[in-house]
Amino acid sequence: MQATPIRRTLMQMISVCCATSLLITMLAFFAYELLTYRESSVQQLQALSGAIASNSTAALAFENSSDATTVLGALRAEPHITGAALYDAQGRLFAVYPSGLPHDRLPGTPGSDGYRFGHWRLAGFQPVMEGSRRLGTLYVESDLDAMLARLKLYVLTALTVAALSTLAAYLISRRLQQRLLQPILALTDTARAVSDRHDYSVRARHSRLLEFDVLTDAFNHMLTEIQESAGKLRSQLGRLSLLQHITRATSDRQDMRSIFQVVLGSLEDNLPVDFCCVLLNEPATRSVSVAQVGARSQGYAAELALAEGRDISDDDRDLSRCLAGELVHEPDVSGLDLPFARRFAAVGLLSLVAAPLIADNETTGVLICARRNANSFSSGECEFLKQLSEHVALSSHQASLYVALQRAYDDLRQSQMAMLQQERLRALGQMASGIAHDINNAISPVSLYTESLLEREPNLSERTRSYLVTIQQAIEDVARTVSRMREFYREREAQLTLEEVDVNRAIRQVLDLTRPRWSDQPQQRGIAIELHTELAADVPKIMAADNEIRDALTNLIFNAVDAMPEGGTLTLRSYTTDGPDGKSVVVEVGDTGVGMDEDTRRKCLEPFYTTKGERGTGLGLAMVYGMIQRHSAALDIESQPGRGTTMRITFIAAESTLAATARMARPLAAARPLRILLVDDDPMLIKSLQDTLQEDGHTIIPASGGAAGIDTFRAARQRGESFDIVITDLGMPYVDGRKVAAAIKAMAPTTPIILLTGWGQRLIAANDTPANIDRVLSKPPRLMELRTTLAELQP
Amino acid sequence: MAPLKKICALLLCALLVAGQPTAGMTAAASVTEPQVKAVFVFNFSHFVEWPADAFATPTAPFVIGVLSGEALATQLEVAIRGEHVAQHPLQVRRLSDIADVGDCHILYIDKSAGAQLASILAALNGRRTLTVSDLDGASQRGVMIQLATESNRIRLMINVESARDAGLTISSNLLRPAQIVRTSGGP
Repeated sequence: MQATPIRRTLMQMISVCCATSLLITMLAFFAYELLTYRESSVQQLQALSGAIASNSTAALAFENSSDATTVLGALRAEPHITGAALYDAQGRLFAVYPSGLPHDRLPGTPGSDGYRFGHWRLAGFQPVMEGSRRLGTLYVESDLDAMLARLKLYVLTALTVAALSTLAAYLISRRLQQRLLQPILALTDTARAVSDRHDYSVRARHSRLLEFDVLTDAFNHMLTEIQESAGKLRSQLGRLSLLQHITRATSDRQDMRSIFQVVLGSLEDNLPVDFCCVLLNEPATRSVSVAQVGARSQGYAAELALAEGRDISDDDRDLSRCLAGELVHEPDVSGLDLPFARRFAAVGLLSLVAAPLIADNETTGVLICARRNANSFSSGECEFLKQLSEHVALSSHQASLYVALQRAYDDLRQSQMAMLQQERLRALGQMASGIAHDINNAISPVSLYTESLLEREPNLSERTRSYLVTIQQAIEDVARTVSRMREFYREREAQLTLEEVDVNRAIRQVLDLTRPRWSDQPQQRGIAIELHTELAADVPKIMAADNEIRDALTNLIFNAVDAMPEGGTLTLRSYTTDGPDGKSVVVEVGDTGVGMDEDTRRKCLEPFYTTKGERGTGLGLAMVYGMIQRHSAALDIESQPGRGTTMRITFIAAESTLAATARMARPLAAARPLRILLVDDDPMLIKSLQDTLQEDGHTIIPASGGAAGIDTFRAARQRGESFDIVITDLGMPYVDGRKVAAAIKAMAPTTPIILLTGWGQRLIAANDTPANIDRVLSKPPRLMELRTTLAELQP
Repeated sequence: MAPLKKICALLLCALLVAGQPTAGMTAAASVTEPQVKAVFVFNFSHFVEWPADAFATPTAPFVIGVLSGEALATQLEVAIRGEHVAQHPLQVRRLSDIADVGDCHILYIDKSAGAQLASILAALNGRRTLTVSDLDGASQRGVMIQLATESNRIRLMINVESARDAGLTISSNLLRPAQIVRTSGGP
């Protein structure tokens, strides 16, 4: 609904009032007129007929009908009289008016005296009296045209009066309204001007009406207040945008000097101030120095002896309040008796604000602003400077944090580079190892045949023998070179200093050290991790690097704890087992956590593989694996998703190592002819070994590859045949030497198995004899070594 | 003269009958001139006002004197029977000599006594008597009301001055249809 202007509404109200009162008045008047007119009509007719009657007396008395007609003719003056008649005393018609009126239009005989209204006419009988004698009767009949005419006149008059009075009312009320409306409309115009132009400086004018003046005063007062607060708001907004500008400008900068430069420049240009500078506070040394002075404040700075870099620690008594973290505002320094304030007063800077720069609850500096005029800093500006100082403090704090972060990032990057380098070296080592394996395989026949020729051919010429010796030496050189190349794989940690280590002690130490991780921190999160230790008392010592063992255990415990985000049981167990090579010490770290699926289990030892997201480095288990490799230990992983994981490390006990070494020192003895299964994927090696060993009287059954070897062994057993010894290569595609050994031991646990390997040298050095393997021989195999081993292992 | 009078009376009657708006007057044929004149004279008692001193008492009779008009007197007696003017009962007095006029309020002077008119009027001088006569020119000679027959109708000729001199007031109603006459010459 649209709003009606007040002027129209008021006019409508007045018009309605006026029209209503006029209408009621007129209706009343009409009603009155109608009533009185009937009466007055009767009276008039009565008076008229009275006069006619009294004039007719003589005519009736003297029966002069012409006179009577003349008398009645006087009615011509009254046009509304439509008929009249005189009756004599006997009721006979005596005279009529108008003369031609047919008699049937008139009553035959006079009726009773009196007047009555009939069909649009008024008629009546009037006695004609002479004194008390009745001479006859006068009948008069009048139409009501006069009444109608009069009514018409009344209606016309009423309408005219209504129109005129409405017009008059309109004009008068318009004039009167003007007085009432003028102030309202003026106020409305003012309000509109305010709302349209947002110009709060306009003021409504006073009228001479009391209430409106009160309203106008209130409105003007409101406008004044709005104007004032709008002004305050505008300056506040200006300062806010300055603050935002400064904040944005400082957020782009990372060094304090450029931050301060932006801040001081903005203050000088936009607040503005006559002088500003930043002081730096070193709480540690209790020294305050001028860090930076605004570009335009340099002149004052020289006068004030506040040049950049200057130490003003002596004045910090004056600044103590500010250094304590309080914004200090001195509206007029001229009256203050403080050296710092006096300095400002001396150069004519009378008002001063010192805002502390607070970061981490410590005042790191002070922002000083000054103006020439006293009392020139408003409370809004002080508040602004306070907020600005907080921003500046934060920015400078962030800048220092940024520097620290940058440093940490650089460190991290260097570490990463180093790690990449190591990884490359390791890859190179592995490659070298592969090459060494291939070379060892390749030179094995050369070595075997050369040795065999030198040993078994007595008729060799001196020249041939010397050539063969040279070849043999060259082969040994190659083997040595290859073994040196393999040292890549060992990296720096290869230089281990092994010592006797008590694994139980190591486990206890590690548990103590890692207590926060498996006990305190989970408890804080409301998680319970139960510790279960089963440490066998008589566990033999192992030869190991103590720190590496501890690091590995720490990593395994961390992994176990991380695998139990809902809590669970952490189990550490140590026990001894008896293997083919003597006693082994087993250390188990188990959890009841999330476990690993097959894919994770396969990859878990790879460097940088992690399931912990950003929390993990992916190096923990890789390091553990490195340690295991270096200690010739074995790692066994048991894991079921949802049930938990158990990591089992099997170390060779210290005394069995010694025993193995002792066995190596036993004297050689010739072996009886043996039935030997030879498994290798290299036909050259098979052929050379077969040739040389057959010459020793052994029966050699070759098998090309691991799978073929297992099949041959199984087929022989099914035929009832048996092998005295199995010689198998380690590195073969699909089925390697370990699997062959495992399969054969499963079928015939007593059949000795010799593993030939390009890695053999290293395995021996680390006393790392894999399970199911009775002896490891490195490639290229030496005939003597082979013979000794066969002699030792023959059943 | 009698046949003429008779004819005149008949004519008058016919006229009167013809003048009636309704033809309801069955007795019209019997109306005679003396009868009509008697009614006229009787009616004058109502249209003329006598001063109070004309009556001895409020109930003193109103006397109509008839001089030498036997027929009229007879008719008048019929007309006034039981009638009053105010509270005054009407009386008809037949006069043969003017000396007998006495306290008559109306004196009808028949034209047969026209020869004595001057002396009659002289005798009435100073009296409050309305004089009525059917003698031609009577009004010019000082008679207050003359009944003149004109075009078969009786017309009134009234000498207002004479009436005023006698202290009588004649109703304007009576004057309106009448012809106003002034006394011409001396008596």
